[in-house]
Amino acid sequence: MSGPLLQSCRACGHVWQFRRACCPACATAGPEAVTAGGGGTVWSVTTVLRAPLPELDVPGGYGIALVTLDEGPRIMCRSEAGLAIGDRVQVAVEDDGMPRAVRAGSELEDACGG
Amino acid sequence: MAYLTGIAVTAFGKHPGRGPVDLMEEAALAALADAALPREAIDGLISGYATTYPHLMMGTVMAERLAIRPRHAHQAQVGGATGAAAIILARHLIAAGACRHVLVVGGENRLTGQSRDDAVKTLAGVGHPIHEVPLGASIPSYYALVAARYLHETGASEADLAELAVLMRRHAADHPGAQLKKPLTVDEVLASKPIATPLKFLDCCPISDGAAAVVVSAEPAGAAVIRLAGWGEAHTHQHVSEMPDDVGVGAKLAAAQAFETAGRKTADMRLLGLYDSFTPTLAIFLEAFGFAQPGRAGIAARDGRFSRDGALPLNLHGGLMSFGHPGVAGFLAHVVEVVRQMRGEAGRRQVKDAPLAYCHADGGVFSSHAGLVLERTA
Repeated sequence: MSGPLLQSCRACGHVWQFRRACCPACATAGPEAVTAGGGGTVWSVTTVLRAPLPELDVPGGYGIALVTLDEGPRIMCRSEAGLAIGDRVQVAVEDDGMPRAVRAGSELEDACGG
Repeated sequence: MAYLTGIAVTAFGKHPGRGPVDLMEEAALAALADAALPREAIDGLISGYATTYPHLMMGTVMAERLAIRPRHAHQAQVGGATGAAAIILARHLIAAGACRHVLVVGGENRLTGQSRDDAVKTLAGVGHPIHEVPLGASIPSYYALVAARYLHETGASEADLAELAVLMRRHAADHPGAQLKKPLTVDEVLASKPIATPLKFLDCCPISDGAAAVVVSAEPAGAAVIRLAGWGEAHTHQHVSEMPDDVGVGAKLAAAQAFETAGRKTADMRLLGLYDSFTPTLAIFLEAFGFAQPGRAGIAARDGRFSRDGALPLNLHGGLMSFGHPGVAGFLAHVVEVVRQMRGEAGRRQVKDAPLAYCHADGGVFSSHAGLVLERTA
C-alpha cells in the first residue's frame, strides 16, 4: 500500500494531483513525480446511496471524500464509513489504483481487512 | 448595445416522441414570433447541445431545420451555463458588428429520450475520468461534497436548504408549463430518499424534456425594451477536486464583472433568475452575490425575501427544481421568465415592478459561471 501519486514543481515546490506539463502555480515545465505520504484531512465527505449505475449501488451506500493531503493537493478518495469533515486520515492506493481514506491510526487493520 | 427582443419556452416535463431538434424548433419559432422578426432576419445562431443527440454541428442542424442561412452558427457547450454564456456570446457578436439578430436556442428530450440511468451516467462524465468517475461519483455526489462543506462552513442546516425547494415548488404552481406543481413541505424534502448525503431526492432538480429560445438583437423591438446591461464570466476549474477553497469564488468573479459592465450594484437588483440544480447551488449563489447573509439563504426564503411579493423575487417560474431541467433550456427558462416579468407579461405571477434583474448559471460543479444584468430601459 502506497500513497497517491502526485506531481511536484522543481522550481517552486507546489504539489498537485492531475497530470500537467507545467506547474499550475508558476508555469515551470517538467514537474517530478512524487508519492504522497498519505496523511491528510477530510475537506468534505458524502455517502452515495444512488450510484450513477445500478450495478455500482451498495446497500447502505459507499463513501467518497475530498481529502486535503499534507503536501497540499485536495484529492478525491474512497472513504470508510463514518468519516467527518476535519478528521485526520491516512490515504493509500488500492489494488485498482484508486485511493482510499481511513481514519488515521486505523490504516494497518484496514489494509489487512481489505 | 444588445437587447433581448424575443423569448419563448415550451412546457417542461414529458414530450414523448419529440427529439431535441423538434423541441428547439418549437421554441425558436415562438421566440421569432415574440420578437416579430422574420426568419431571414436571424444572421447568427448559437444552439445548445443535447445529451440524447450528441451531434458535432447542432448549430447548423438548427439552421437547416429553421431554413435560415446565418452568417454565424455553432453549438456552445459549457454545461448548465451554456444558455447564459451563449447570450453573452451573442452580445459579443453584435458588439463586433458580426451579427444583428442572434438566436440562442436549447432543448432536448432528456427525460423520455433515454433511460434515467443513461442520463445520470452521461452527467457523471463531467467528473475526472481517471481520478473521480471510477470512484462511483455522480453529479449529485459532486454537489453533495460541496453541500456538505457549505453546511460545515456556514452552520446552515438541511432544513434550511429544504426551504429553497419548497419555494421553487410554490412558484411553479402558478406556471402552466411547470413539470412539478404538487405543493411541498420542508418535512417532505427532509424525508425524501437520500441520494448522496446531505442531498435528498427533493434537493435535486428533475430531468425533463423541453426547450427555450432567446433572440439577442442590436436594436430594441416591442413595447418594453430589455437591454443586456452587464455580463460576466468566470471559469475557475472543471473538477470538484480542483475547486477553489471558497466555493462561491467563481460566482463572485462573474457577478462582479456583470455588475461592473452594467455600472450597477448588487443592491440595485429587483428580480433574480438563478440556476438551481440543487438546493445548495441556490444557497451558495444567493450568499456569494450578497443577496443573503452567509448560511442564511434558506431562512431568508422562509421569511419571504425571495417570494413574488418579497424584496428579491427569485425564479418565479419554479426554477430547475420545479419548472424542470432539460439541459441547456433549463437556464434559458430562467431568462424567459425574468424578461416576461420585466415586460409585465407574467399574468398571475407578475411582480410589482422589476426594472433591473440579475441572472446567473453555473456549469460543471461551480466550474463555469456566466451572469447577466438585464435592464428595462423603456
